[in-house]
Amino acid sequence: MSTPNIVELYGVTKAFGALTVLHDIDLGIREGEILTLLGPSGCGKTTLMRIIAGFEATTHGRVTIKGSDVSYLPPDKRPVNMVFQRYALFPHLDVFDNVAFGLRLKKWPKERVREAVQHMLHLVQLDDYGSRWIHELSGGQAQRVALARALVNAPSVLLLDEPLAALDLKIRHHMLAELKRIHQETGTTFIYVTHDQDEATILSDRIVLMNKGCIEQIGTPEEMYAHPGSLFCARFLGETNILSGAVSATDSEATFVNVGPGTAKVPANGTAVLLGQSVSLAIRPEALQVARIGAGEAAPEGVNALEGVVDDVVFMGSRVVYSIRTPIETIKYQETRSLDGSMLARGERVRASWRPEAAVLLTR
Amino acid sequence: MLRFYVWLYVAFLYAPIAIITLFSFHSSASLTFPFEGVSLRWYAKIFSDTTFLNSLTNSLIVGASTAAVTTVLGSLTALGLARLKGRIQTVFGLLAFGPVALPGLFLGIALVMLFSQVGLQRSLVTVTIAHVLFTLPFFIEAVRSRIEYFDLSLEEAARDLGATPLQSFRLVTLPIIGPTIGGAAILSFALSFDEFIITVFVSGNETTLPLTIWSMMRRAVSPDINAASVISLGLSIGLILIGGLLVWYQRRLALSARAKDLET
Repeated sequence: MSTPNIVELYGVTKAFGALTVLHDIDLGIREGEILTLLGPSGCGKTTLMRIIAGFEATTHGRVTIKGSDVSYLPPDKRPVNMVFQRYALFPHLDVFDNVAFGLRLKKWPKERVREAVQHMLHLVQLDDYGSRWIHELSGGQAQRVALARALVNAPSVLLLDEPLAALDLKIRHHMLAELKRIHQETGTTFIYVTHDQDEATILSDRIVLMNKGCIEQIGTPEEMYAHPGSLFCARFLGETNILSGAVSATDSEATFVNVGPGTAKVPANGTAVLLGQSVSLAIRPEALQVARIGAGEAAPEGVNALEGVVDDVVFMGSRVVYSIRTPIETIKYQETRSLDGSMLARGERVRASWRPEAAVLLTR
Repeated sequence: MLRFYVWLYVAFLYAPIAIITLFSFHSSASLTFPFEGVSLRWYAKIFSDTTFLNSLTNSLIVGASTAAVTTVLGSLTALGLARLKGRIQTVFGLLAFGPVALPGLFLGIALVMLFSQVGLQRSLVTVTIAHVLFTLPFFIEAVRSRIEYFDLSLEEAARDLGATPLQSFRLVTLPIIGPTIGGAAILSFALSFDEFIITVFVSGNETTLPLTIWSMMRRAVSPDINAASVISLGLSIGLILIGGLLVWYQRRLALSARAKDLET
């Protein structure tokens, strides 16, 4: 009976000397998905990918691909291929020979190699580039050749190690769309390593957020954004406001937290909290409502509200981001540009409020 | 004034070469001006001298064997060094390059002691061993400066695409660094071909070209020495030029590839 997962990691631990870079990782990668290993540099994401590729051995734990244990197989015996961060194209071969490299090692007949390579070059839209030398290619083109060279071997899993890191921003966005298209056309499972949360959000079916050699959280980009499980996750994916305070009351429906001068009410989400425990609330900038407070008007007593002064206004085209200085934190508020062009001004007194379900209660 | 000194300096460097070359073609036995006419008689004479021919053959044999052994040992060392990291790499790098600083006199005496202790008769074999010792550091340094620019992820890419370690070396590493190794091999040949001091100690009854020229010199200053020297000089310069060009060309390719990497 085959498992639903194409790659499975069981208790994968990796130590370099005294330094343990991966702690007991369990992870299943589903057939056909784009799974992103996301995290800051040094979190172990690249090492994890190199373990799947076979370039690093696990200190403990097992790796299976398509149900068979590959933990002790060298990279050339594993049904995976990799797109390297700096492409690692062979400089002494032209584009065609680079792409044909894997097939020729498999002793494919000449005619089939030619067909497969041309089909692949067509897929990455480099039909007429077969006889180009590697040093004649632009960064984006080199990236496509690297993709073709890996995909032509029809791997069970394609590993991509920060493949867009060396490209400039504009080409990067274009290549993200290209990667999605190629993923759809080939149906290959992608494991994608990046430290860029935008790339991860745009591309992934699921994100594995890693921190200090452990998996912090796994979920779809939407889940991760809406329901971060930790401060680290809330901060790493997108902008967020973090308010800290102590639990003042708790019942089966909701938890109340002292936030500066006011109180915040958060619907109970199964997180066990104790009275007096210090916790954090994560509130996305676009989940706030902000209203002006007229001169002389008394600050209203607030549940789920903070009073403050507009400190900074950043116009970003389709949206406007405000910094609001409140007694406890400077918080960010983001709104879409209003059509009448009305904007808050620096120095205005405002009241920022949020609906109870807009805040996420975090205990770590 | 500066120009004058530069020309004086150039003359100082190259006049001996020019004069020896000129007089090797002299038609008379006189080694002084006036120059009386051009002839190849000294070359004809030297090429009918069996001692000279024998030592030339010996030098070519020793040079070729030295180059072959040094190439194998040196390439393995350089490739190994590239895979070491941090302090270990520095230490072994210095150990490999260190012997360059040893005086030939010292090396020669030390080798004679060693050979007699292990009971090895002095012959072309001992000369070759000595020359390998002498050329190895130069070889390693020449190859290492290129391998530093060799991207090890190329080997990983080859492995990833299904190549065994041996295939990835044969299909990727060797084609890329091969010309550098070829250049360095020619350099070691040239170094061996010229070597004198250490050879004096370890050659025993055999003789190499530099030793023969030296002994001809001691008998009498005769014009055929000029011809012998010019032949030796020509061979060395030719080889060093070819070797140097190969190394330079490879390095330039590697540097431009790296510059391009940084651009993107």
